[in-house]
Amino acid sequence: MKTENKHNICNEKVFSDIFTAHSKTVFNYIYYKFGNEEKAHDAVQEAFVKLWENCIKVSPEKAKSFVYTVANNLYLNVIKAEKVRLKYADKTLKSTNENPEFLLEENEFKEKLEKALQDLPENQRTTFLLNRIDGKKYKEIAEMEEVSVKAIEKRMHLALKSLREKIDGI
Amino acid sequence: MQENHLAKWLNNELSEAELAEFKNSDEYASYVRIVTASENLRAPDFNEAEALAAIKNKQLLEQTKVVQLNPFKRFMKVAAVIVVLIAGSYFFFNSLDATITTQYAETKEIVLPDNSEVILNADSELTYNKNNWDSNRNLNLKGEAFFKVAKGEKFTVATSLGTVAVLGTQFNVENREDFFEVTCYEGLVSVLYNNKEVKLPAGASFVVINGAINKAQKPDALVPSWLNAESSFKSVPLKYVFDEFQRQHNIMVSTENIDMNQLYTGSFSNSDAKLALQSISAPSQIKFKLEGAKVLFYAEN
Repeated sequence: MKTENKHNICNEKVFSDIFTAHSKTVFNYIYYKFGNEEKAHDAVQEAFVKLWENCIKVSPEKAKSFVYTVANNLYLNVIKAEKVRLKYADKTLKSTNENPEFLLEENEFKEKLEKALQDLPENQRTTFLLNRIDGKKYKEIAEMEEVSVKAIEKRMHLALKSLREKIDGI
Repeated sequence: MQENHLAKWLNNELSEAELAEFKNSDEYASYVRIVTASENLRAPDFNEAEALAAIKNKQLLEQTKVVQLNPFKRFMKVAAVIVVLIAGSYFFFNSLDATITTQYAETKEIVLPDNSEVILNADSELTYNKNNWDSNRNLNLKGEAFFKVAKGEKFTVATSLGTVAVLGTQFNVENREDFFEVTCYEGLVSVLYNNKEVKLPAGASFVVINGAINKAQKPDALVPSWLNAESSFKSVPLKYVFDEFQRQHNIMVSTENIDMNQLYTGSFSNSDAKLALQSISAPSQIKFKLEGAKVLFYAEN
């Protein structure tokens, strides 16, 4: 299987597997950057269509960085970031038996957090959300963004720092 | 506290001491809260199956396009190669000089691209460039030919002995070994021989035999006699008469005790070999013996 994979993204099954593995993250990645769902959908489509067109040239090992590069280049300096609207997992809202006061406070906090996230620089927000929501390791994010792990750590650090400052009203 | 300690903390990379210190800080609670809350954030829904289906649709569309395009591209490649080959060979063959030759006992009539006519006598060769004929009417001649030149630009016949230039005329050029003759039948001909230009009006001849120039012999006909299947000579050494006989009848000539410089005036038939032999031998008072494709001329004792 491994050897078969090696030379064959053109194989529909292999392609589907790669799509399943990475499409959601590509979508989120572009969404975190620009806050535009439509553009994120387009980026996924563009990236994977390009991957398919180049399926002979791109080895499966390179497929991941290929799609991120394509998605990234697609909107390079073209679109302005919009409001990044995020949902909340239902469980936090339902599964508590907390009193209404607590819930109100909690919702307030989340609003503040969302506002603070929107105000973050694009690269800090993308790094923070990829790590927090998608559970991506710094190394993975570094590969996607084509920067060093240290740079990602810096972004992460700064993101947390400014989120805290915004929320605590410093 | 180490650099980017917040990032390290999320990654559980702080040392125990650092962690303890961090936990004691005022901000710690806030950070914990932010991190906990952010873990419950979700990006907008992304329908993977739908997105994949959309891509496959797009692929399908593009595949059909590719199927249409590919053979066309291939066809274009082949077509391009063929076009290049055809164009190349067209120019190649066009740029080649056209060469017309005649064998012994053969004449040929040639119509040039401008409708000028050339009649090539036996054992002669004519070379010219078809390609830019209209702007450059140059011919190379070895042997003998009669020209009827159409009106137009300068018309030049180059031979090894001299060059003949004309404007709308009829003339005959003969260029054999040591023998160069130009006869003008109509119009005006300019002959360049040894860097000297000689103008020949209608009815004039320019003859060079063995380097000696002999001018102004009037032709007695409107066209060279050989066009009427006759070869005629006026005071020409026998050597050239025999040469002409050999060319016209394809009969090898050999001689015995004959003065080749003896002058001959007269004509012989180009169609009847026996008659021609008599026409040569009788006035010159020599005898001949014909054996198949060979003839021996010998002196009367």
